[in-house]
Amino acid sequence: MSERILELKNVTMRFGGVSALDGVDFHVNKGEICALIGPNGAGKTTVFNVVTGVYTPTSGEILFKGESVVGKKRQNITRGGIARTFQNVRLWGEMTALENVMTATDVHKKSGLVGSLFGTPRARREEKQDREKAHELLKFMGIDHRADQLGKNLPYGDQRRLEIARAMGTNPELIMLDEPAAGFNPAEKVALAATIRRIRDNGYTVLLIEHDMSLIMGISDRVSVLDFGVKIADGTTTEVQNDPKVIEAYLGAPADESSN
Amino acid sequence: MLNIRDKGAEIWEGWNRPTRSTFVIGLIAVVMMLPYAGNFSFTNILNTPISSYQAVLVYPVGMFVLMALGLNIVVGKSGLLDLGYVAFFAIGAYTAAIMGTHFHWNTWECLPLGMALAMLSGVLLGLPTLRLRGDYLAIVTLGFGEIVRIVAVNNPSIGGPNGIANVPNPPKTLGVSFGLDHMESFFWVVVIMILLIIWMVRRFTARRPGRAWEAIRQDEDVAALMGVSTLKYKIWSFSIGAAIGGAAGVIFASKSMYVAPDMFSFNISVLILSCVVFGGMGNIWGVILGGTLLAYIPERIRFISNARQFVFGVALVLIMNIRPDGLLPRKKREKITKAGE
Ligand SMILES: Nc1ncnc2c1ncn2[C@@H]1O[C@H](COP(=O)(O)OP(=O)(O)OP(=O)(O)O)[C@@H](O)[C@H]1O
Ligand SMILES: [Mg+2]
Repeated sequence: MSERILELKNVTMRFGGVSALDGVDFHVNKGEICALIGPNGAGKTTVFNVVTGVYTPTSGEILFKGESVVGKKRQNITRGGIARTFQNVRLWGEMTALENVMTATDVHKKSGLVGSLFGTPRARREEKQDREKAHELLKFMGIDHRADQLGKNLPYGDQRRLEIARAMGTNPELIMLDEPAAGFNPAEKVALAATIRRIRDNGYTVLLIEHDMSLIMGISDRVSVLDFGVKIADGTTTEVQNDPKVIEAYLGAPADESSN
Repeated sequence: MLNIRDKGAEIWEGWNRPTRSTFVIGLIAVVMMLPYAGNFSFTNILNTPISSYQAVLVYPVGMFVLMALGLNIVVGKSGLLDLGYVAFFAIGAYTAAIMGTHFHWNTWECLPLGMALAMLSGVLLGLPTLRLRGDYLAIVTLGFGEIVRIVAVNNPSIGGPNGIANVPNPPKTLGVSFGLDHMESFFWVVVIMILLIIWMVRRFTARRPGRAWEAIRQDEDVAALMGVSTLKYKIWSFSIGAAIGGAAGVIFASKSMYVAPDMFSFNISVLILSCVVFGGMGNIWGVILGGTLLAYIPERIRFISNARQFVFGVALVLIMNIRPDGLLPRKKREKITKAGE
């Protein structure tokens, strides 16, 4: 069995009367592309939020590389190796694309305020490394020509790409993408799928929330399905596609639309 | 409409290094000569009626610019609303007054201590409150500003409501004398401090701390989720601002030779914040302009006596309506590169 990089054990997250997650067991293997799917309101984004420390789960355990992340500070979880994007793009709009990514690459740097003030050799070196790394990531996402444009002025698709570059900037082991293809046209989706595969091939583990079935089925090693806060299926794309519970809950009707 | 900010940036960008250096040195020289500007017939329009022009240049003008630059790091750079900035000014001033009268420290010895104490109180105040949401900080700092003043009023050992008199002027330094008839020397000290702050802020802005502050200001939750140590950077920004307020206080006390609690009312906090907002939050040049105008104009129109506050207030409201982001808003650097380059 492959190593589990992320593992949720019996995680419940209640908001007042709503159980966004209800006893969810879920895991991601190291080095894979794992998809998390489910109808609207199923609790997918909530999984991201409890993993990254936005919410503390009502009960249950969350392990990242075997260590619990419950109760840890958000920035420490991120520095520990988990990065994410947001369903509703949340860039720093008044910063340039390059600065958005550099702010993320900064977090593993050592130089502090005094170093920055006096321009110590280390601060200068780190600043240069940051800049190069950020350009490299922008190039990887195909948006280096946007480096000096403000985040808010980027076209929508590039904003989504920039979010991925920024997440990679924190140098994570696990990168979690929340509907990265939302609003993309079919050609852009194909390109994005290729990019996600390249991200995985570069050694990152990817957890992906996505509504587009063809995208999911094309690139995922494994798929988990949530419905009303409960995990109803888990397996390879073919297994999940043929699971009657999934067909009923997720696709709404027992038809063979899943292969679209 | 002419965009002064972008026009200025464009001209600056077009210059090479020597031109820039010459311009900066020339500008500093002109500013340093300002105390003598009232002496000539064609410039004596600058003179302030009632109060001495040279004294006005130090306080309020220089001091306001200094404090506005300090508060700008807190409010403009990292987006923390500090409504009690006067507290740090008071801590600096009282440090200079107490150490100067009881222990005969000179101003330059008091300066680091005043800054350190202001900074320390900034850290102590910030540690519990900066964890909370923005509105709490506004309320707590508002309270802190008043508490410092009330403690001073009720504490006879530091003069109670009468304050402390006979605070020594700075000693003669590098051939420059300080005193009532040497207001220009105080102005020079203030200008040097302002230059240091400009240098510091520009360094920070271009590097890691500036990016962290900017990220926190724009979306603190995302900053934390991208690994930025939000609390650490907020405390740095808050306490650096506090230290600058403390420095201003030390110079103020040694210039006016007298401190009393009613010099440190809530009004000052509001005025300094107005300088920042009016000039252009986050933009040092805007803040300097805002501080200069808001400090100088009320002194210049003192002859209309009671009406001046009213006239001033109306003018402020009008201008803020025309330019809601301040006179010189935050600079938005942007360069469009064509795809495929
Ligand atoms: N902060 C919150 N407070 C209250 N309810 C919440 C909160 N966050 C999520 N929920 C609820 O939890 C449920 C799951 O939400 P979640 O955002 O995780 O769904 P999702 O699977 O990401 O859906 P979508 O596909 O629409 O993005 C929803 O019913 C939502 O209303
Ligand atoms: Mg969602």
